[in-house]
Amino acid sequence: MKSRILRALLIGASVSGATAGAQTISHAAPPVANSESGTVAGSTRTAPPSDSSHSYDAQALRFESHWGSADIIRGANGPVIGTVGWFRGFDVEKLVESSPQAATEARAFKTNNFRGSLVGGLGAATVVVGAVLTSNSSNNAASPILIVAGAVAVAWGAQHLNTGYSALSRALWWYNRDLAR
Amino acid sequence: MSRLLLALCTGTCILITGPTLLTAQERSYEENALRIDEHGGTISIVRGVSETVVAKIGVFRAVDVAAVVSPSPKAIAEATVFQRNYRPGTWITSLGIATLGAAVGASRISGLNRAIPTSLTIASVSLITYGGFRLETAHRALARAIWWYNRDLK
Repeated sequence: MKSRILRALLIGASVSGATAGAQTISHAAPPVANSESGTVAGSTRTAPPSDSSHSYDAQALRFESHWGSADIIRGANGPVIGTVGWFRGFDVEKLVESSPQAATEARAFKTNNFRGSLVGGLGAATVVVGAVLTSNSSNNAASPILIVAGAVAVAWGAQHLNTGYSALSRALWWYNRDLAR
Repeated sequence: MSRLLLALCTGTCILITGPTLLTAQERSYEENALRIDEHGGTISIVRGVSETVVAKIGVFRAVDVAAVVSPSPKAIAEATVFQRNYRPGTWITSLGIATLGAAVGASRISGLNRAIPTSLTIASVSLITYGGFRLETAHRALARAIWWYNRDLK
């Protein structure tokens, strides 16, 4: 009788061990975050491929700023797979498309980066024109207006660039979160 | 027979507790993984889906980033690089900007030796470039520190 109990316990334990092992490889469906609010919602997500080549060490992304632009780097010491920044058109959305939340954030980055680059660039050009007009000692009343308008545009552009980089940071965070660990 | 049933129940209980452990692991990244958020010259380190701010690094306000990323040795090493470069970087860049202002002011003083504003301009550009380089190094180290910290989460 005792040996039977022992056998049943062993079977139970071995089955549970096998199941736990299998689940550490494949993700259970975790909750999904709403990209706008960052809160967790109840819908399901499509898990990215979870073979060994998609391990965190080899695949996780980060970005490192580099004189006004940012290099997107894969893995611990991995290659630079793209550079984003003023008027740089690297497709971050395609890079992180395996994670829906990351793709949404990447779209937000693209929109804000374009707006910020365009308006900020135009603003900087306007400031320069205003400064040149002022330094030429012209009494043109438009020159202070140009400088102020340019500065406002630069500030607006910088704000959008900041928002864009926040979205990029979130995009890579979500992408890394959805990697097999 | 009832003992046999009891043993089977125990096995089933162990079976059920497996996924609970997994959920805890899954939550570890969701709740603890860090990322950098930058707004108006202030770098914030935020944690998890809830985006709780765990540290704010201002222009002249350094934070013990090593303590934030402390469980991970490689993250601590990178955080040390950040701390070694961030404050000197901000001070040197600020000094460069101040020197540039002095150069502009000196250039408007009539009768002043032209070598003074020129040397001030050269000094300011050098300081701003060197300070910027230190800040770039600090930012890259911070990005790597966060990456290693997240990598070492269970």
